[in-house]
Amino acid sequence: MTRLLEIRDLSIEYKTDCTSGGVSDSSSEGESAGGCRAVDRLSLTLEKGEMLAVIGESGSGKTTLALAIMGLLPENASIKGSILFQGRDLNAMPQEDRDLIRWKSISIVFQNSLEILNPVMRVGEQISEPMIKHLGLGKSEAKKRCTELFSQVGLDPVWLDAYPHQLSGGMRQRALIAMALSCQPEILILDEVTSALDAFTKVEIGELLVRLQKECGYSMILISHDIGFISSLSNRMMVMYAGRAMERGDTNKVIDSPLHPYTRGLVNSTPGIFLYRDLWGIPGEAPTGIVQGCPFYSRCTQRKGICKSSCPDLKPLDSEREVACHLGGIVTLLFASRMNYSYRLPDGGVLDAVKDVCLDIKEGEVLAIVGQTGSGKSTLAHMLAGVMGSGIGEIYFRGNRMNGERYGSKYGGIQIVFQDPVNSTSSRLTVLDTVKEPLDINHLEDKKERIELVKEALASVGLPSSEAFLNRFCSSLSGGQRQRVALARALIMSPKLLIADEVTSSLDVSTASNILRLLKGLQNSQGFAMIYITHDLMIALKVADRIAVMETGRIIEIGNSHQVMLHPQEEATRKLVMAKMNRAEQIFSG
Amino acid sequence: MTFDSCNPQKNAPVLRAALKCGSLWLQDHLHAYMDQHLPGYFHQGLSGYSHRSLQNLQKNHSLWQDLSGSICKTASSFTTAGKTALLGLFLIVFVAVFAPLVTNFEPSAISGGSLEPPGPEHILGTDELGMDIWSGICYGARMSLIIGLAVALLSGVGGGVLGLLGGYMGGNWDKLLLRAIDITMALPSFPLLIVIAAFLNPSIVNVILVLVLLSWAKPARIVRSSALAMKKQHYIISARLNGASPAYVIRRHIMPEVLPLLFVSILNIASYAIVAESGLAFLGLGDPTSKSWGMMLHYSTSFRSIYFTPYWQWWLIPPLVALIFLLLCLAFIGRDMERVVDPRLRTGGRS
Repeated sequence: MTRLLEIRDLSIEYKTDCTSGGVSDSSSEGESAGGCRAVDRLSLTLEKGEMLAVIGESGSGKTTLALAIMGLLPENASIKGSILFQGRDLNAMPQEDRDLIRWKSISIVFQNSLEILNPVMRVGEQISEPMIKHLGLGKSEAKKRCTELFSQVGLDPVWLDAYPHQLSGGMRQRALIAMALSCQPEILILDEVTSALDAFTKVEIGELLVRLQKECGYSMILISHDIGFISSLSNRMMVMYAGRAMERGDTNKVIDSPLHPYTRGLVNSTPGIFLYRDLWGIPGEAPTGIVQGCPFYSRCTQRKGICKSSCPDLKPLDSEREVACHLGGIVTLLFASRMNYSYRLPDGGVLDAVKDVCLDIKEGEVLAIVGQTGSGKSTLAHMLAGVMGSGIGEIYFRGNRMNGERYGSKYGGIQIVFQDPVNSTSSRLTVLDTVKEPLDINHLEDKKERIELVKEALASVGLPSSEAFLNRFCSSLSGGQRQRVALARALIMSPKLLIADEVTSSLDVSTASNILRLLKGLQNSQGFAMIYITHDLMIALKVADRIAVMETGRIIEIGNSHQVMLHPQEEATRKLVMAKMNRAEQIFSG
Repeated sequence: MTFDSCNPQKNAPVLRAALKCGSLWLQDHLHAYMDQHLPGYFHQGLSGYSHRSLQNLQKNHSLWQDLSGSICKTASSFTTAGKTALLGLFLIVFVAVFAPLVTNFEPSAISGGSLEPPGPEHILGTDELGMDIWSGICYGARMSLIIGLAVALLSGVGGGVLGLLGGYMGGNWDKLLLRAIDITMALPSFPLLIVIAAFLNPSIVNVILVLVLLSWAKPARIVRSSALAMKKQHYIISARLNGASPAYVIRRHIMPEVLPLLFVSILNIASYAIVAESGLAFLGLGDPTSKSWGMMLHYSTSFRSIYFTPYWQWWLIPPLVALIFLLLCLAFIGRDMERVVDPRLRTGGRS
């Protein structure tokens, strides 16, 4: 394959008042003095026939990048770096030469279709215009070619004489694609082509683009915030954030196992990738103005000192994947191997509750451990939390080997919340004393601060923090409230890993779902990793990034939750899934 | 790998913690008492030591407050019988403590004629040697109470600590404890008591020691099972995972749970010890020089054909009534305590 487009160290800054620039993606960032950097030292290559997706939230500089390639940036933008098209620097070349390349070799399909087309010109005329200009065709020839193009994109040629406002959104989008394809460009840039369309049209446009790519052989740069849409269209993917490339690699691999926390956040906020999971956005806002360190610092769950001071570059992790992170992407928070535990039975026998289990939990990830009663999942959770002490296997937490220490005695450690709410808080203690206990034990903070922290923790789990409530005894609380109190006690130590052992199974459905949503919400906003133990596959699918299925003390299957659900590898998993499905069917068939 | 509870090294901190915990408790009680009765104790030049104990006192002040508060609360939730019993016990204690003030004669002094009936000088008459019986009852109460209290406290606290260690630590120590409890419980205590008392010199100390040796098992078993059950409670596991030392867990979580149970069992042991002491004395195995209700019963019943004389009315009846009254008081208090302590019988619970 030949290298069609190469971008080297491209930086684009909008000077002062950039709201007038009419740049949809980055117009909101222009508050800081001296302008804002929409694209920051970005490098990129595009091979012939390649379909590259550029993904990012609004304001991440995607559209600016597209405009820069097209040479359509507003005047207040200043460009550094080079954009090489077939070896020639587009930035350095005079405007006339650029005009030749624009549209003929590189064309773009814009997002907002009604504004892009001239409302007082017929669609046909507008499409003919570039052909007449660039290819030197006559009017009738151009019209003929228009008809061809229309049938190519699936539009009836009768619409050629219509005005833009007479077309529906999907039709207008097709017309725009036809226009972009009119000069048979080598690079087609599609800027949010489907964001305003309904799901059905989206699929049609998607299929159309794939078909046309095969017919015409152009390279494509797909700009979108919709991972679901681009996942089927592109073969490579670049994730942009605050003008920088955060991650780049094979599309399916990036979606399946994101390396950067930002990518994972995007994937988790996209509907339609994991069918059963609830949607959770990335908490926080993108930084405004120019930041010194990693732009994702303020929203990152695994930030370190170095992330604040210096900005990571996109570095290759292996032959196919690149990530811009000082820590090399999402780090492994806990790694456990050779976990073994057995109970002595009364008759002298030995029951292997957990056998040769090996698992890892990434930073900010939710791992659900699913299995029947007696499959050893609770035992495993207790082992990981340190209840059994040392000598049960190798556990590495944040890179350090744990040897039966008290994992919960420091901030940022491991905390566990148990199943039975009555049992997990002492009836003798008040709410204040219960939640404060970890601080008391470890002599953290002074008295006043402890009470403040307790109030904060209670507020975060949705409990009142009034004086009267703080002084209530736990015995006078309901099961759901006690479970929340236990949760607050765990959260007050701001854990990096929270182990939830069947926390909802002894609560009624409504309370259980409230607690579950609360827990997942806290996980999302505070960014801790969670091991969620449950026997209910459906609940696991709602919250988990990954699912581990346990049977008779072993993990028989572990993987992305949708994969475990849709393509169970093991018989036991299949049974578990089928049991759920059958149950649902029974309910609906009466 | 199985739960390795046989590791003695792991058990060492628990032992140390329990000891430390116990000593803290004693210290607190001592200082609270001293503060009450010897004002200025902390302010006189015992600088270093008193400063430290002051700190300790402050640290555990809330605990002490809790305890006294809960005692008052417990007493107020007694039934009428229980309250009466409490009053009766106070009366006996008062009489025993202020015996010289409420009697006119020394208990062993020959203060009147032999076998005088009750009259203005000798309220309850005299015995065959001319000793005042009322005086004997008052001073005898001391004996009964001292024995009861000493045995109950020694076996209650000792057994409690042993049970706590066994239950909380588990392992070989626990197994050893369990066997010891089994053996002690299986021994026929009273016959053994008679044999030991007969062979040893029947002094108070010996009687107390023998009784303690025979009665420590019950509180130990109660505390052990309670600690064993509590150890598995998730809030205790949570506290441990959060870095709590055994001393903290025992002080904060196990003690408040176990103390009321221990208290009930201490009351029962007190009753048992008083009866046992009286029994021994009645059989003539008590200290012949001491004054006790049992000895009085012994002497009166050894008086030939006392029932054919009117003497039993003022010689036999008073120690018997006193003994029965004390035991009834303890029994009623014990019953009410049990009701307060047992969560199943507790109405409404704590709020």
